[in-house]
Amino acid sequence: MAVNNRLINPGAGFARAGFAGMLCLALLLMSSVAMAAKYDVAPPSGAYKGEDVPQPIEFPHNKHVKENGINCMYCHTYARRSKVAGIPPTSKCMGCHKVIATDKPRIQKLTKYWEDKTPPVWKKVHDVPDFVHFTHQKHLKKLVFDRDFPVENVKEVCAFCHGELENMTVAKKVKPLNMGFCVRCHIKNKELGAPGDCWKCHK
Amino acid sequence: MSETMSGKMNRRSFLKVMGWSTAGATLAGCDLPSTVTLEEGKEDVVSYLMPEEYVIPGVGVWYASTCTQCAAACGIHGRVREGRVLKLEGNPDASLNHGKLCMMGQAGVQGHYNPDRITSPLMRSGGNLTPVSWDKALALLEEKLGAVNGERFAWFTGTISGHQAALVDNHLEAMGSSTHYVHEVVNNAVSRAVYQDMLGESNPRLRLDKAKMIVSFGADFMGASVSPVHYAGQYAKFRTNKERGLLVQVEPKMSLTGGSADLWLAIKPGTEAVLALGMANLLLNKIKVSDAGIPADVRSLIDSHDITKVARITGVAGHRIQRVTQLLTERSPSLVLPGANAEGQAQGYDTVAAIMMLNHILGNVGKTIESSGEFPFPQLMARQGGTADLLAFAEAAKSQKLDAVIFHGSNPLFTAPASLGLSEAMASIGFKVAIAQFPDETSMAADLVLPVNSYLEDWGTQVPANQGEDAAIHVQQPLMEKLHADTRGFGDILLTLLKQRKNDEYAQFEDYYAYLRNAFAAMPAGVKNNAKNNNEFWNTALQTGVIKVASGARQLSSKVVSFAAPAEGGAGLTLIPSPRLGLFDGRHANLPWLQEAPDQISKVVWDSWAEMHPATAAKLGINDRDLIKVSSAQGNITLRVTLLKGMNADAIAVPLGNGHTDYGRYAKDLGVNPLQILDAIKEKKTGELAMYGTQVTVKKVGPADDVSLVRMGASDTQAGRKLVATIPVEQLRRTEGS
Repeated sequence: MAVNNRLINPGAGFARAGFAGMLCLALLLMSSVAMAAKYDVAPPSGAYKGEDVPQPIEFPHNKHVKENGINCMYCHTYARRSKVAGIPPTSKCMGCHKVIATDKPRIQKLTKYWEDKTPPVWKKVHDVPDFVHFTHQKHLKKLVFDRDFPVENVKEVCAFCHGELENMTVAKKVKPLNMGFCVRCHIKNKELGAPGDCWKCHK
Repeated sequence: MSETMSGKMNRRSFLKVMGWSTAGATLAGCDLPSTVTLEEGKEDVVSYLMPEEYVIPGVGVWYASTCTQCAAACGIHGRVREGRVLKLEGNPDASLNHGKLCMMGQAGVQGHYNPDRITSPLMRSGGNLTPVSWDKALALLEEKLGAVNGERFAWFTGTISGHQAALVDNHLEAMGSSTHYVHEVVNNAVSRAVYQDMLGESNPRLRLDKAKMIVSFGADFMGASVSPVHYAGQYAKFRTNKERGLLVQVEPKMSLTGGSADLWLAIKPGTEAVLALGMANLLLNKIKVSDAGIPADVRSLIDSHDITKVARITGVAGHRIQRVTQLLTERSPSLVLPGANAEGQAQGYDTVAAIMMLNHILGNVGKTIESSGEFPFPQLMARQGGTADLLAFAEAAKSQKLDAVIFHGSNPLFTAPASLGLSEAMASIGFKVAIAQFPDETSMAADLVLPVNSYLEDWGTQVPANQGEDAAIHVQQPLMEKLHADTRGFGDILLTLLKQRKNDEYAQFEDYYAYLRNAFAAMPAGVKNNAKNNNEFWNTALQTGVIKVASGARQLSSKVVSFAAPAEGGAGLTLIPSPRLGLFDGRHANLPWLQEAPDQISKVVWDSWAEMHPATAAKLGINDRDLIKVSSAQGNITLRVTLLKGMNADAIAVPLGNGHTDYGRYAKDLGVNPLQILDAIKEKKTGELAMYGTQVTVKKVGPADDVSLVRMGASDTQAGRKLVATIPVEQLRRTEGS
């Protein structure tokens, strides 16, 4: 059976080093956030050293986000409407890649999936237990839309929990996503209405 | 959106509606399949190839359909997310259940996702059932049913209605047979016979909500009844009416309904008719209500049942009988209901007739008992069952009058008393086909098993036998694609059977979906409710799940039927094989949620047990949780005992549901089946099985044991904690008036 001790006790040595780094980054982020948004949000604290997860296609987040400036929610379009952000449907990929970079082997592999009418079987990277009700929709509403945070910078908010995907190829878990991680952030942002009731998440 | 659920099913089949799926992942270095894990890279997640417009992963869409967990046929809504049905609720548009659903309905998803479903056709070869292809299975069907003499062919089902029932009729006709056995353990067949004779209608509308008082002779209308949610809804109105309704329950073993009563009276089993006659005696001779319409022989029976005699025979105190009878005249209109323990006797018809006579005397007919009207589609109406057909089937099998039988939605090998010798008799039937979802006792004894879709994967129509305010046809549509590639819809199997006999007539229907579309298009304009065209009518029907049908007006008669002098109960202990909302007649024993749900009265989970009054147990030297042997003339069962004050001292109850010898991992070899030791006593007028007429003896065979019987919160005292404040009745009468 799955042993999740690692999740509960993140590698202490790494956590310390990583934590300082993340904190600096968070402060940086906050300063930029403060300029644009209605109110400040204290990002969550905590780090995690995730494993490299091989995926059927080595999807380059960095190429899409950093080099081409594509918004996270362009592909993860369900994030603002649902509890899950959603893996983009294959049709979405093909919307661009019917014509873009068709000579690249990864795109050729994608096109093969499309032609075979079978979406790739990805491996899940970020997850919370079934007894936790986490919703992307509510978090985006509070952290982006309600505070007039510029939507073009949404990746800074996504990075709270997912890390800087603009610097990764395939996703890697860099935040612990455990209860302490959630609760620390909810306590810090209590004034902004972050709920502290058990049943808000455990329902 | 319903268009997509229906017409474009085939197009969707390649769209791999898998969503967030854990299927197929295995842990490295471990043979066990993966359960849920939070580790990265262990679970699969598959996106849509091309999303449907209305589909948002993580957001549920609700679709209407119909529940088939019992014969009531409530309307349901199912929440579908990423192509999976996750949660069922009642359909607010169905006036039968008004958006409510009982726990059996809620547990429907566990039947659908059950790991023990039959997933391919099975054929008996060399004594064993082995998987075969549909082609082979259908070829065998064609060959065997083609060769059988029509008169020696029969269908054996549970309650069945709608277009499926019409197709079964058509198949019987095509086979040249007219034998359709319909069997339900939880039934009101004897009452229906009395209703027919007395009121001129076998399924009148009982208006609990209009009554100011109900006296129920063991009618567990909120629990194991023919329509529990419907009656529970009416009961809620009855209780919240301006004048709060008063419920008096008279029964030998406390039921869920009895547990909610204002006054619960324990009665000696088999003496319900005596009590009814005693109450009639008080009404006519003491309170001087008119005896108009009562035949002379019944009148003399009534006169011979004075209160002292009645109290002695029934064990119900005379002053209570007087008070209840007095209240009935003060709180008009009232309603007097017959229940399973009144019906399930050798003189069940007489008993129900005596009870229903009280409604006549009290003038309740037309007020709390109404006509349900003339349903305009008789061919779709429910074929309601009882136990008479089980007895008839056993006799036919024993006298070798059957060569081929198709079973669906009923499990006679579990529900038949051993004394019927059904399992041996069945062996004489040359070709037994089971259209089944699970490996239950009957399907495992069949020669050919056809795996059927769950009701959440299937098309159909259901017509409730007991309708709500508006008579309606309830529509059943698939809430998701089928889980197993090799199961088929019940309607589709029926069509295949018909095509084998009458291809000219049925070849035009590609599948049952096409048949239903055609049948809906052919419905009269009045039913289509101004729909612009057939497509709109079909879509509206799928969206609402309910097709309202105007019933023709009909008038009830109120005639007291003659009946014989009642019996006075058995001399020893009477066995009460009590069904409950949950496992019901045993059909839900394979649903862990319902095994886990404690019995409403004795709070036991995952087991079989006997319920006895502490005084009876003390007399026999039996303590709580002792192991006892309950023996009838037909056999015995060994189980643990739970002492319960909600019992008559002359009764011992053994709840139904467990004791399966097959039926998957959750049900098999769990508990005992009290139906096995019943005497095969026939009700004299209707030929039903007298289920509550078996006398038993009880013997202690082992000491109490703290671990074998799991009871959730089994304390019937407050241990001085004043959780509920009480005052003596005398004090209440003094301060608040009687």
